[in-house]
Amino acid sequence: MNRHWLTWIGLAPFLAFVLAFEILPVLTLLRSSLTGEGGPTLDNFARALTPTTLTAFTNSLKLAVATAFGGTLFGSVVAYAIVTSHSPAMRHAMTALANVAANFGGAPLAFAFVITLGSTGFVTLLLGYLGIQLYPDFRIYSITGLGIAYLYFQTPLAILLVMPALLGLRPEWREAAEILGATTLQYWRRVALPILAPAISASFFLVFANAFGAYATAWTLTGSDVNLIPVQIAALVRGEVVLDPALADALAILSLLVMAACLLAYQYFARRMRRTA
Amino acid sequence: MNAGSLTWRAPVIGVFVAFMTVPVVATALFSVATRWDRTLWPEGLTLNWWIKVASRSAFTDTLLNSFWVAMTSMLVSLIIVVPAAYVAHTRLPHAKPWLEFLSIVPFSLPGVVLALGLIRLYSKLPLPLINTPNILIAAYVIVTLPFMYRAVMNTLESVDTRLLVEAAQSLGANPLQVLAWVIVPNIASGIVNGSLLVLSAVFSEFVLANLLIGTRLKTFPIYLVEFTRSDARQASALALMSFVIAWIISLAILWTAGRPAKRRQADSPVRGR
Repeated sequence: MNRHWLTWIGLAPFLAFVLAFEILPVLTLLRSSLTGEGGPTLDNFARALTPTTLTAFTNSLKLAVATAFGGTLFGSVVAYAIVTSHSPAMRHAMTALANVAANFGGAPLAFAFVITLGSTGFVTLLLGYLGIQLYPDFRIYSITGLGIAYLYFQTPLAILLVMPALLGLRPEWREAAEILGATTLQYWRRVALPILAPAISASFFLVFANAFGAYATAWTLTGSDVNLIPVQIAALVRGEVVLDPALADALAILSLLVMAACLLAYQYFARRMRRTA
Repeated sequence: MNAGSLTWRAPVIGVFVAFMTVPVVATALFSVATRWDRTLWPEGLTLNWWIKVASRSAFTDTLLNSFWVAMTSMLVSLIIVVPAAYVAHTRLPHAKPWLEFLSIVPFSLPGVVLALGLIRLYSKLPLPLINTPNILIAAYVIVTLPFMYRAVMNTLESVDTRLLVEAAQSLGANPLQVLAWVIVPNIASGIVNGSLLVLSAVFSEFVLANLLIGTRLKTFPIYLVEFTRSDARQASALALMSFVIAWIISLAILWTAGRPAKRRQADSPVRGR
């Protein structure tokens, strides 16, 4: 009996805390988003489909897809270069760099990109000397600029996610394929990529979610200039825009659905990855 | 084949390293440049901006605020996560999938959404939460739950807890003594790793700090964002400091964590962006 009591002393604070600050806030949003003046309704979601929020959704999706795709693609190639590198020192240095860079984000990163690719930024000046004028066609304060800044943390995250699967690719498989007469292209298409596919897909969905919910980088770099879902929700939280709260809650629930779908997809592919590994 | 693979590997790694380092190096140079907007290289070097920014009282205040919030969040997280993980692992294996689920959920909870939910829920309740550091610390414990829970559970699963508990009990230890003197030292690497992850995530967090308490308790990232809009040179010194702090904590994590824990860290999207 005494032991049972101790079990609950260990679990209860955790459960109470999670209930109070994780479950109940989400349920509050859910309930409010589904409640109108006359009771339960989907009206708030219908009203959420204004041109502004639709643009915000499209922008957020575009940004997340583009940086998840670009980050995963570039990250996979870099990860392969790291994994197949013959120097252990190089492998460790690059893994450490990816680990550290994946943690950079938010305001300092946004600011670093202003210094680098702003109108008088270092790379802008450098390209100017080489005869390439970035401005005024390109602006770091635009959605394209934001995409480049997001790639800064998306790429190392993708590297860290794809690397374990690449380490699992056995050299013997390639040798076997070559003995059987396969070309490099055939080896990649028929052997390596099918094995890597779950890891690459899992990485894509996780970094997609990572970009979709990101706010600090966008806010520091562009303020409210680029219309994104997190920017919209934050504006509603701060009370910058006068709107009914239920509408903000509907937006929050919609973005939660996107995030949940991504993480379910991630879990699904991560599980398949474990099975093939 | 080997010469061929060298030729593609070098540019790929080169581009990656350049992309990861140029923004940081440029920020570092900018923070010590007298003027750097017309020429390719800074026109002169100075420590003026660093001295200026560090001599403000707001600078020390915000650093201390961030440090204090990070330490408190870490302590609260330790107090609620370690015992829960321990009892679930040793006595309630059925509860483990549930705890696992609850500690993964924050990944799908964008900072703005969590802030909105907390404000909606607690603004009407007469609790000392809204507009106080308490709500911020609670939010930080939630968003860092995946890091702390995974780190602690990973080490718990790698240790034979049953054997340790039985050995300690046969020597007459009570359950609390077992936890404090036997289990905690054996899972210390996971606890340290989780704590460092919490510290680094909280230290650089901007979204929740901005939306939940704003200017009432100015944290370092909030101070930095203010500066990016007023004085770029001093902001670059702050940004570099922020990078260095994140860098030191990340390296500490790499050092304390073994390989499996390193992979876990890779599974987790990082907060604060």
